[in-house]
Amino acid sequence: MKFKIAFSILFVYQLAFCQTISDSITLNFHYKFGTEHLELNKNYISSKKDTLQINLLKFYISNIRIEYSDKSTYSQPKCYHLIDIEDLSSNRIPLTLNNKKTISKIKFNIGIDSLMSVSGALDGDLDASKGMYWAWQSGYINIKIEGKSSSCKTRKNQFNFHIGGYLKPNYAMREIVLEPKNSDSKLYIIVDLNSIFSKIDLSTFNSVMIPGEKAMKLSDYSIQMFKIE
Amino acid sequence: MKIKKHNILVLVLGLISLAFTVKITTTPLYFEVPKGWPKPTYDFSKNPLTEEGFQLGRNLFYDPIMSKDSTISCASCHLQATGFAHVDHELSHGIDGKIGTRNSLALMNLAWSKDFMWDGGVNHLDVQPINPISSEIEMNESMQNVVSKLQKSENYKQLFTAAFGDSKVTGQRTLKALSQFLLQLTTHNSKYDKVMRKEEIYTEREQRGYDLFKTNCASCHREPLFTSDKFEYNGLTYDETLNDIGRMKITHKKEDSLRFKVPTLRNVQFTFPYMHDGRFKKLSDVLKHYNSLTSNKLLPKELNKSMNLSDKDEVNLILFLTTLTDKEFLFNSRFGYPKK
Repeated sequence: MKFKIAFSILFVYQLAFCQTISDSITLNFHYKFGTEHLELNKNYISSKKDTLQINLLKFYISNIRIEYSDKSTYSQPKCYHLIDIEDLSSNRIPLTLNNKKTISKIKFNIGIDSLMSVSGALDGDLDASKGMYWAWQSGYINIKIEGKSSSCKTRKNQFNFHIGGYLKPNYAMREIVLEPKNSDSKLYIIVDLNSIFSKIDLSTFNSVMIPGEKAMKLSDYSIQMFKIE
Repeated sequence: MKIKKHNILVLVLGLISLAFTVKITTTPLYFEVPKGWPKPTYDFSKNPLTEEGFQLGRNLFYDPIMSKDSTISCASCHLQATGFAHVDHELSHGIDGKIGTRNSLALMNLAWSKDFMWDGGVNHLDVQPINPISSEIEMNESMQNVVSKLQKSENYKQLFTAAFGDSKVTGQRTLKALSQFLLQLTTHNSKYDKVMRKEEIYTEREQRGYDLFKTNCASCHREPLFTSDKFEYNGLTYDETLNDIGRMKITHKKEDSLRFKVPTLRNVQFTFPYMHDGRFKKLSDVLKHYNSLTSNKLLPKELNKSMNLSDKDEVNLILFLTTLTDKEFLFNSRFGYPKK
């Protein structure tokens, strides 16, 4: 009897927390600059011929959705992931799907939606101590890209892009839709920084710290940053 | 194998009992909404008030640990006896003697505010403290560092455990505890309130002042909170040494140029100096400003008709404004420096 109770508790525990029976996939983020593998603090040349290095790269991924070939969908409930190029564990997002259907599309948002942006102090990856929250004007920073380039005639040749904004007409969150070519359980999402730096003139466009037109432009460019292998 | 399962059982039961102990040890606080007042904007269900949360927030509010070099606390610019404003300072001071560009706002009845700061740049009370903490001219500290400093402190380990059940410090817990303290700073026991509750009566001159107030001021300084919580241009000349465009900085909308938050007038007798840049030292200066406004298409329609206040009217109006002073609030020891 005792054994039976203990066993059923164990079973319930496993159902609730482990979910070993289900199928899962992992989204892996990999960084590139054009054709090269991206490392922090290393010089690259953009297609605009700017020599530049990235010193910091962080961004939010939210509302991950999967579309299957049979048109059914899966969405990860209430998920907000802060991805930091320097924090290896943040670059892997495991998803428990409970099925083996063929995935036709992976959708997610870059940034934080307007509802969460007006919800006060939040926890986990949305905790204000993560450094992705604006102080003087409320709201999350969706993407932070900081680095240096000789093309920037700024202090220490720095460029700083803090991209965000949750109020219309400057709502900076963007949707990414990727179509994986194979149904591998490990999906590699490429983040190519050259796709942003190939569109901007670093000598004049090197600082974005507020929501507005410039942040909207960068948000648009950031959509092309994401590709899938 | 049997032992292992037994361990899990103990663990499950342990977790359940732990969950109960946490619930039992915090003391819930009741947030009083005075009769006839609007519903608070703050969502208390997301941050239920407890005595322990309040005390943690109170400790944080009075602790200079929040600033980079441990010299500035929230209370440095928000003193209780002056309605939690920075008395006698036109512009508020911060770290290294640096001077800000605005007069610190009084802190009271914040549960009814929709947005915060003179320009409304902050959309929720919880995230308001991030602003002064990370401002280079105020506390110049990051939320990351605040969290790690608090995590190292024995005193805060105890306070966080009392409030949240364990000693883990997070940005969310720090901010929610500060909100718990700030939300409790309610003022509704001035003579005005007592007159409204028919517990006291106005003198003839106070009553005349109240009548003048209702005609000339109440459309923006709306009762009972004495603010509409909106942003308005009130005819102040532009100060070129500050270049402060107000609300427009946040919204980028032309019509918001030079608009600032309508501050509450509760305890206004003690929250001097006045206006976003503290340019007026006395209430009589403020009244003179409004009384001397001439018709101007930028002014809101309420200010576009001349007030034509006589000297006597001004005195009566000020007499009325002093009936908004709530000594029970200003000298409530619960809101003061925490006892060790």
